[in-house]
Amino acid sequence: MKMMVIFLLSLLLIVGFVAFASKPSPVYGGLSLVASGGLGCAIVVSLENTFLGLVVFLVYLGGMLVVFGYTAAMATEEYPESWVGNAVAFGMLLFTLLVELIWYFVSGEVEIVTAVELFDSVGSFCVGRDYSGVSLLYGCGGWALVLLGWILFITIYIVLEVVRGRD
Amino acid sequence: MTSISLNLIMAFSLALAGVLIYRSHLMSTLLCLEGMMLSLFILMALLISHFHMLSVSMAPLILLVFSACEAGVGLALLVKTSTDYGNDYVQNLNLLQC
Repeated sequence: MKMMVIFLLSLLLIVGFVAFASKPSPVYGGLSLVASGGLGCAIVVSLENTFLGLVVFLVYLGGMLVVFGYTAAMATEEYPESWVGNAVAFGMLLFTLLVELIWYFVSGEVEIVTAVELFDSVGSFCVGRDYSGVSLLYGCGGWALVLLGWILFITIYIVLEVVRGRD
Repeated sequence: MTSISLNLIMAFSLALAGVLIYRSHLMSTLLCLEGMMLSLFILMALLISHFHMLSVSMAPLILLVFSACEAGVGLALLVKTSTDYGNDYVQNLNLLQC
């Protein structure tokens, strides 16, 4: 039952991906990407990864809010292009339907087994749920934390260099 | 589980095809890149929770940081082209001078 719900959510996710991958006007694309992000958060939470779902909902949709605000500010067209008469969207939807049907007739079953009570061991530590990623990031994954901080610093340097005007 | 991961891989392929096709706006390509990152994140969370690879559960967070970097640099390039040309049409990039 629950696996069926997740499967239907992933089907809706594919429809959302078709909606922005066929490249309509960026307003509709941003809207469908926000909807896909919400669906992805629902999938991750349904897999009992509550912390990762919260992170992707806050960080990803927070970042997406900036992008969507920018697209809405830049959409200066009077009639933004929709999906009506878009051959690319139609082709992608047809391809998706074909693959799903073939998959259903080859092996038509949906099943998953999750047992989050199991534990994994890292060195002398014992890690459990999905929020153990953060404690690992502060523990034996400290090199990754330092590397990510350095990468973010380099990124803001690159962004400032790119948008700086030539004098 | 296999059908769900098939769906996620197909979502990734659709977003990749969306990056590769040529349409008018550059912004749509950036949205497709974000979608690729989103599908990779969900696929990674699915695999980790299914195979109990909890010792690599910091990998989605690392991927999220990379996604933020990519979005920042992409938006900076978009702002640069839109301030130089006035819009974000891809056909403006045929001119190799700024």
